[in-house]
Amino acid sequence: MASVSIETARTETGNKRSKPSRLAPNYWPFVVPALIVIGAVIVFPWVFTLWMSVNSWTLGQEQTFAGLDNYIRLATDFRFWESLWHTLIFTVLAVVAPLFLGTLAALIFDAQFPGRGFLRGVFVMPMMATPVAIALVWTMMYHPQLGVLNYLLSLVGIGPQEWIYNRYSVIPSLVLVETWQWTPLIMLIVLGGLAALPREPYESAEIDGANAWQKFRYLTLPMIAPFLMIGVIIRSIDAIKSFDIIYAMTQGGPGTASETINIYLYNTAFAYYDIGYGSAMAVVFFVIIVALSFLLMMVRARTNWSDMETR
Amino acid sequence: MATVTLHNIQKRFGAVNVIQDLSVDIADGEFVVLVGPSGCGKSTLLRMVAGLEEVSGGEIRIGAREVSNLPARDRDIAMVFQNYALYPHMTVEDNMGFALKLKRANPADTAERVKKAAAILGLENLLQRYPRQLSGGQRQRVAMGRAIVRNPQVFLFDEPLSNLDAKLRVVMRSEIKAMHQRIGTTTIYVTHDQIEAMTMADKIVVLHDGNIEQVGAPLELYDRPANLFVAGFIGSPAMNFLDGKIEEGVFRTEKGLILPLPAEVSPAKAGGRPLVYGIRPEHIRASDQGIQGRAAIVEGTGSEIFAKLDCGGEQLSCLFRKRIDVRFGDTVSISIDAKQVHLFDKATGHRL
Repeated sequence: MASVSIETARTETGNKRSKPSRLAPNYWPFVVPALIVIGAVIVFPWVFTLWMSVNSWTLGQEQTFAGLDNYIRLATDFRFWESLWHTLIFTVLAVVAPLFLGTLAALIFDAQFPGRGFLRGVFVMPMMATPVAIALVWTMMYHPQLGVLNYLLSLVGIGPQEWIYNRYSVIPSLVLVETWQWTPLIMLIVLGGLAALPREPYESAEIDGANAWQKFRYLTLPMIAPFLMIGVIIRSIDAIKSFDIIYAMTQGGPGTASETINIYLYNTAFAYYDIGYGSAMAVVFFVIIVALSFLLMMVRARTNWSDMETR
Repeated sequence: MATVTLHNIQKRFGAVNVIQDLSVDIADGEFVVLVGPSGCGKSTLLRMVAGLEEVSGGEIRIGAREVSNLPARDRDIAMVFQNYALYPHMTVEDNMGFALKLKRANPADTAERVKKAAAILGLENLLQRYPRQLSGGQRQRVAMGRAIVRNPQVFLFDEPLSNLDAKLRVVMRSEIKAMHQRIGTTTIYVTHDQIEAMTMADKIVVLHDGNIEQVGAPLELYDRPANLFVAGFIGSPAMNFLDGKIEEGVFRTEKGLILPLPAEVSPAKAGGRPLVYGIRPEHIRASDQGIQGRAAIVEGTGSEIFAKLDCGGEQLSCLFRKRIDVRFGDTVSISIDAKQVHLFDKATGHRL
C-alpha cells in the first residue's frame, strides 16, 4: 500500500516537472456539451418565459416591460379561474377512476385462472396506442347520431347522449377516454406490488381471525399503498398536463366547457399570440405543479412502509 | 386452555403420503414438542392443527370441539412463525392488538391487554416501533406477544428460534419456557433441534417420515429410546452404534471388540441374532485399564473433552467430563458403564 502511494507521488511530481502548470488537467470540456444542452432546452426557455411573463408582448406588436401587470390580469381573469377549475376536476377524475379500476383489475389478474396471460395482454393494449389516434376514434364513437356509443345505449333503452358536445358531460367523457387508456398502467403497477407482497402476514391474519375483506382492508391495501402512490403521482402528472386528447377531441369546447389551463394558455399564446400573458399563465401553472409534487411526495413518504426498512 | 387430540391424522400431497395415521393426545396445559429431521412432517402437522393446511383424513379436537374442518380463525389458537410473520406496516402495538381489533373488542380493553403482554415480554418501550426497526429477538417477542394477547386455547410454535443466533436462541428458549410456566396454556412446539426439545418439553413426540417413532418425557427418551432412530436423534453428541452379537455373556462386535453387557439382558434370549450395541459418548469413562483406543479426533471445550477413539477398527465417540491429558494419536484406556448400554434388534431397529 505504502509503496504504491510513493510510486504515484513520484509520477505526479515527474509530470509536473515535464509539463508546466498551464496545462494542468482541466475537466471543463467534458461538462460543456451537457451544459450547452441543458442551457438551451431547460434554462434558457425557463428564464425567457419568466422574462416574457413580465412583458406585454403580442406577436407583431412592440414588446414593452409590464412588471406584474400580466399576473394581476390573471387574478381577475374569470376564464383563467374557470380553466383552473376544469383542470382540477379533470385531474381528480382522471386519477381516481383509473386508480380504482386499475386496482380492481390488478386484484382480478393477480388470481390464477385459465387464459390470464392472454387477457392481461389484451387489457394493456390501450396503453400502447397514440393519444391522437385514440382521440379520433373516440370522437367518432361519441358522435351523437353516428357514434356507436349512442347505438349501444339505445340497445338497453337509454336515449342518446351528447357526450363531448354538451358542456356538462364533456369533462366526464374526456375522463372516460383517459381512463380507458391509462387504467392498464395502474393495473401493471399494482400487479407488481401485489406480486411483491410477503405471504406470511396473511397466514398470521388467518389465525388472528381476519376474513377475506379484512385481509384486503388491513393488509393488502396498506401494503400496496406505496405502489398506489406511485400510480397517483404518475397519473397526476400526466392528467394535469394532459393536452393531446383534449385538444384533438374538443379544443376546450363546447365554448370553454373543457378548457383546462394547458388549452387556455396554448390558445392565449399561439391562437391570440399574446405571448406575455401566456407566459405568466405558464409560470403560475408551473408553481401549481411544483406545489402538487411536494404534496404528493409528502403523502408518499407517509404511506411507504417498505422503504423505511433501511432507514 | 384445552386438550388437543389428534386421531388417525393423514396428509397427502397428491400421491405423496406425508403423514400416515398419526395419533397424539396432548393434555391440558402441556408443553409438547414435535421434533424430527427436515421433511418428517412436523411443520405440516402443526399447520394442520392451525388450520393452514387441510387434513386428508382423521380428526383434530381442541377441547371437546372437532376442528378438522373449521377455518383457522374459528379454532381459537395462536401461532408463532419461524419468520415471525409480523404485519410490516403496523406498529408493535397494532401488531399485538390486531386480533382483538378484528373481533371489534373495546379499544381500551385491547390497549390494556397489549400493555400486559408487553410487560411480560419486556416490550413496553417498543410499542410504537415498526417491525423493521426491531432486532430478530425483539421481533420474535412481538410474535409471542401477539399470541399472548389473544389468550387462546392453544399456542403453536413453528421453529420459532431458527432465525436467531445461537446465544439469543438459548435466551429465548428459557423465555418461552418461562412464559409457558406463567401462563400455562397448552403448547405445541415444532423444532428440528433436539436440545430445544429436551430443554423445553413436558412431552416429546419424535417424528420420522410422517410416523411417530416415540412419545415420552425428555429423560424417558434419553434413557430408554424405543428404537435406533430415537436413540440416534436424541442426545448430542450422538450415541455410538456398534453392530455385533451376544456371545458367551459378552457383546462381540463384527470387528471383534468385546464390550460389557447390562445385567438385565439375558444372553439366552438375545443370543445369536444380529444386534446393535448403543452407548452414549458421555457414558464412556477414561480409566486405568480397559478397552484401548487411539485418539483420532480430540476437541476440548473446557468443560469437557470430546474424543473419537479407534478401538481395534471400531470408532467410538467419547465425552470426558474429567479433564484428562489426551492428544491426537495417544492411546487411551476407557471403560463402559454397562448400566447405560442400549441393545437394539438390528433387523427391526427396536429396543430389546
